[in-house]
Amino acid sequence: MSSIQAEVRSGPKKPEYARLGTGERGDRLGFRLVISLLWRCIGMLRPVRWHVAALATAYALIGAIVLVAVVVLFDLFWTRALVGDPLTVATAASLGLDTAISVDVDALSVEVRRNIARQAMWVAGFIFGFAIPAGILLWYYQVWILQRVNQHLRVDLLERLQSLSLRFHAENRVGDAMYRVFQDSAMVTQLIDVLFLTPIFAIFRFIFLVMILVAFDPILALLLLCTWPPAVLLGAYYSRRLRIGFRSAREANAGLTAHIQETLVGIKVIKAYGAERREQVRFEEDSKKAFATAYSARAMLASFGVFTFWIVGSAFLIATAMATIDTQRQLALLAGTSLAVAGMQVWNLGLYSAFKFLFGNGTDQVRLLFRTWGRTQDIAIGLERVFELLDLEPEVVDAPDAIELAPVQRGLTFRDVAFRYRSDRPVLENIAFEAGVGTVTAIVGPTGSGKSTLVALLLRLFDPDSGSVEIDGVDLRKVTVDSLRSRVSIALQENVLFAQTVRENIRYAVPEASDEEVTAAARVACADEFIVGLPEGYDTLLGERGAKLSSGQRQRLSIARAVLKGADILILDEPTASLDAETELALLNNLAVWGRERTILQVTHRLATIRRADSIVVIEAGTVAESGSHEELMEGGGIYRDLVLAEYTAPARAVSA
Amino acid sequence: MSGTTPKEIETRESIALLARALRYVEPFRWRFIGKLLIGFVSLAPMVLIPWPAKILVDQAIEGIPFGDSLTPLPFFIEPLVAHLYGATPVEVVFWCVGIQAILMVLVGAIGTSGRENDQAEAYLSSGHDTATRTENEANAGFSMAGGILGLFDFRWTLRLTQDLNHHYRSRLFERIQALPMVSFDDERIGDAVYRVMYDTPSITNGVYRILLTPILAVAMIFVTSAVIQAVFGEHPVLVWSALSMLPLSFIATTPFAAAMRRRSIASRSAGAESTSTVEEGLSNVLAVQSLGGQAREAKRFDKDSWDSFSEYRSVVRAVIFAVFAAMIPALALYGYAFLYAIDLVIEGSISRGDFLLLLSYYGIIFASAIEIGALWFRVQSTTAGLQRVFFLMDLPGETDADDATDTDEIRKSIRLQNVSFAFADGTLAVDRVDLEARVGEVTALVGPAGAGKTTLAHLLCGYLTPSSGEVLLDDVPLSRFTNESLRRQIAFVFQETALFDDSIADNLRLGAPDATEAEMEAATALSGASEFIEALPQRYDTPLGRSGSKLSVGQKQRLSIARALIRPSSVLILDEPTSALDSKTERDLARTIEEVGQEKLVLVIAHRLSTIRNASQILFVDDGRIIERGSHDELVSRMNGAYRRYFELQSQGAV
Repeated sequence: MSSIQAEVRSGPKKPEYARLGTGERGDRLGFRLVISLLWRCIGMLRPVRWHVAALATAYALIGAIVLVAVVVLFDLFWTRALVGDPLTVATAASLGLDTAISVDVDALSVEVRRNIARQAMWVAGFIFGFAIPAGILLWYYQVWILQRVNQHLRVDLLERLQSLSLRFHAENRVGDAMYRVFQDSAMVTQLIDVLFLTPIFAIFRFIFLVMILVAFDPILALLLLCTWPPAVLLGAYYSRRLRIGFRSAREANAGLTAHIQETLVGIKVIKAYGAERREQVRFEEDSKKAFATAYSARAMLASFGVFTFWIVGSAFLIATAMATIDTQRQLALLAGTSLAVAGMQVWNLGLYSAFKFLFGNGTDQVRLLFRTWGRTQDIAIGLERVFELLDLEPEVVDAPDAIELAPVQRGLTFRDVAFRYRSDRPVLENIAFEAGVGTVTAIVGPTGSGKSTLVALLLRLFDPDSGSVEIDGVDLRKVTVDSLRSRVSIALQENVLFAQTVRENIRYAVPEASDEEVTAAARVACADEFIVGLPEGYDTLLGERGAKLSSGQRQRLSIARAVLKGADILILDEPTASLDAETELALLNNLAVWGRERTILQVTHRLATIRRADSIVVIEAGTVAESGSHEELMEGGGIYRDLVLAEYTAPARAVSA
Repeated sequence: MSGTTPKEIETRESIALLARALRYVEPFRWRFIGKLLIGFVSLAPMVLIPWPAKILVDQAIEGIPFGDSLTPLPFFIEPLVAHLYGATPVEVVFWCVGIQAILMVLVGAIGTSGRENDQAEAYLSSGHDTATRTENEANAGFSMAGGILGLFDFRWTLRLTQDLNHHYRSRLFERIQALPMVSFDDERIGDAVYRVMYDTPSITNGVYRILLTPILAVAMIFVTSAVIQAVFGEHPVLVWSALSMLPLSFIATTPFAAAMRRRSIASRSAGAESTSTVEEGLSNVLAVQSLGGQAREAKRFDKDSWDSFSEYRSVVRAVIFAVFAAMIPALALYGYAFLYAIDLVIEGSISRGDFLLLLSYYGIIFASAIEIGALWFRVQSTTAGLQRVFFLMDLPGETDADDATDTDEIRKSIRLQNVSFAFADGTLAVDRVDLEARVGEVTALVGPAGAGKTTLAHLLCGYLTPSSGEVLLDDVPLSRFTNESLRRQIAFVFQETALFDDSIADNLRLGAPDATEAEMEAATALSGASEFIEALPQRYDTPLGRSGSKLSVGQKQRLSIARALIRPSSVLILDEPTSALDSKTERDLARTIEEVGQEKLVLVIAHRLSTIRNASQILFVDDGRIIERGSHDELVSRMNGAYRRYFELQSQGAV
């Protein structure tokens, strides 16, 4: 089946299968697109929306409580205890103090102040003793929620990857895909924070603070607002550069991951050919590049942060200077009269400290927002890489009105099928033949002639460009892919086994099969005897790439796997290439018996296999050159006869030099 | 190779791991010292910074004349005070704010509280799993200061971190490549990738936590206490209460250290496991799709991934418990100090400006003390990573014997003398075999599947070491030669073709970096690959795609053979070279093999007899033993010979 790729040259038919994410192109996102990207992710919060709502509510509640508490405590600690201003009647009452000593005096006495401080301490202890643990627990809740979201995204990505055609996988690296599934998708965990919590709370707080400051002195409020324009300009300067930097960093790191993976896959050859040094040099180049890109991106981010601080810091200093002078001169507050109730009328030390606190808080929000914005660029790039993948349309999808494929009664037909990968090189043309139930059809031909592509069409790994592939007269495009693949089973040419037990490998396509069924299938495939001889029999664990078994054993396992599925149509791609003649014969006999009610297609070179077929289809250069039974074709004196003769006459002895 | 990560690491072992990490970092010590120096320098302004604010409050606003300050001014403030003596409030403001502005630009700080203080950093968002957090660790840049100094410090630190991490990732990669060939059969590739990418940063992270952070924290404490002492000398209670946070946080967090360690190990293992699952599924996409295994793979991944998330959450829980434990004494202590300071103000011992100052400094000491106290707890997450890295690094690589020499061309033969080989699980693959493959001849190994032919070939090359018996190269034991020189003499075509995501030319040159175009063309002509290569628009520059997936199996095979032919080696070994080729191509190849066999030592393993008919020596292998040997004609003429039976079965059906 991997011969399909035989006919895949570069220059794919459908551009969406091009290599992903090679990004020397510049930044494609703009501010608007970043926002829209984030919005798109909101959909990912759907499954957990009630949790998010609960979380946000809880945060808001605690936030409000803390805010109120801070305001009250500030007043108590600073203005009353430290400065000594008299209390309001209400406060005195709630603290249980006699108004005579607390309200009607000019300044509070030492004992009263101490008293207030201690009581305030209890209040603080109480509130923070509740708020901090609650905050931590809420945070844990948030972690759980976000992990769920991340999990969904990871699984979606993996499913998408596995449904994309082989053309995609030929062009794209496993390591890069791994990076997207793990690293890039993790950015989705920032959604709640970055899209909601941080901006909403920060902006609300900011507005609230500005309003309070207006009451103090509108100039100060204006100063605070004036931090925005330069910060925004700075942000505009950096945003695009940051995105480009982050994209390079991600791609370089994904590339490094891919490099490691590829080296390990081919490590045997690398070692055998003494190419370790070469690989080491290339690895170090990739690693350096990964670090260099990360360096420049992060250095930019750090600079952005420092410069932002300079902006808000300058505003803070100017405001401090003004406020100091205001206080020194004991100027009246703008809203002096209306705030007289709260005891705030004139600039004094208490207000001065309050102002510093509030203004500082305001600049904090600005810093927070811009710092978040800087990080958001990285988040956006990560998510963009995720969507690049999710947006790819798998080539083969179920038609909206697709039906389930019924058990096969009559057989399969290729009706004038044509298929091409590139516009100028057809792979298959005018393919027409039939294979009925209860027959064995051998598909023969030179390598690269299109045999395996033909089989791929039957499995609907691709759809034909013209003509149709039919089972029982039903065009395959009209049936669901799942139902089709449950009725067609295949033993591949490159025998792939997974790092699981023998039993699990055989059961791969049919996880619910019973042990007896597994054994029965193994017997048909002539695999049972050697499996039983393994250290733990069917429960022996196979290494990655099934390396502990010989090729012949792997092949038989592969066939057992296909047999177990019990599908109506069985495709064997070079089933006996690694088997010796004796085993081959036994296998073919078993298959003949097992396949009596089924349709079997064999792609093969081996004469012994071909001979027993009911019908032989010879494919050459993408078309059906000849077809018929063995005897017919031998008499016909065409390609088939040539192939057969070639196999069994001795090659002429090489002439000595 | 990777084995399993143990579930537990003893305390003693984790200390040893950290010590080892420290040793590893030793070559970089000067840059560490540089970082420390910068850190110390950035401390100085910390001490200076609160004073302008205090002067603003006390002098400018409250109008307290300088001489009447309640608390003594530190020496470094005196010049400023002297200058400002008798100045108007506006002038005082101007000067103080001016100084703050300069400090802001230089070190990014206006005051000592968090909001008035910037620290240059570039932490990117990470997810809630170990691997993504490690990305930040691998690129850790941090500074205690902001402004220009902070940026400089940041870049210095980031460079240091990256250089360290690059160094250790490369070393680990090198180690992995140096492992014996057999280790790679059982391997989970994703796990290895995880170790190289996400476990190696534990080295720098561990060292920073043990070395940098505490030293800087101690310096911070020292400096701040000194200032407090100088200014508030009559109130040592404050200093001692802040310092007592150190033992308290230690006591509170250390009981959770073992749990933290366990959880971190579990988290990393689970993360690596899920990586392996994905890698396996994606590498074998063809099989997964054809077999309809998508749902199954998705389900498997779903479980593995959620497992890794759960393990991470358990790490978070351990942290939360420790935080709760430490919080109680922390809040109590801070509250106590707070009240104490308020009392001081109420009494009139210190001014309100001093109060703010005091609180700031107190907070600094407080935080630093917690950092040091909780150190042991926090460093546990890195020991897990360290264990995984060092385990891999310590695996025995291929080594040459001490007296190994380089071998030249092999001129005579390679011989197996009474060689047996058993796999690690005890199965005997080769049983007391004697065979000799000679230069200038084609030797063929034939036999049923699983007979041990491939194992024999691997033994001949030295990829495997015999359990008993000897392998002799030109009558000299193989073990006397260096691996590298030995491999240079051998060109092996494996059964599973492995091509790389490079151009055809690069692939061909894997074993012969200096091959010319003419040599490439000659090799591909011999192997039958040149016709399809010439048909490609980019010819030899055509990129092959992942694992050469753009070619058919037959084309890959022919390319692998060409790759072997190009290599100027004296030995050529082909393992099932023709299994995917049609008869005509196969015949051509058989002829090529014979030609090459005139000059080199050629060993062919095949099922298809047409490939080996003209071999000088055919060895029929079954069950790990050589049953018959001779030329084709000799063997075929034996009545009831194993080879003869085999041959007859194959040609059944010939015309």
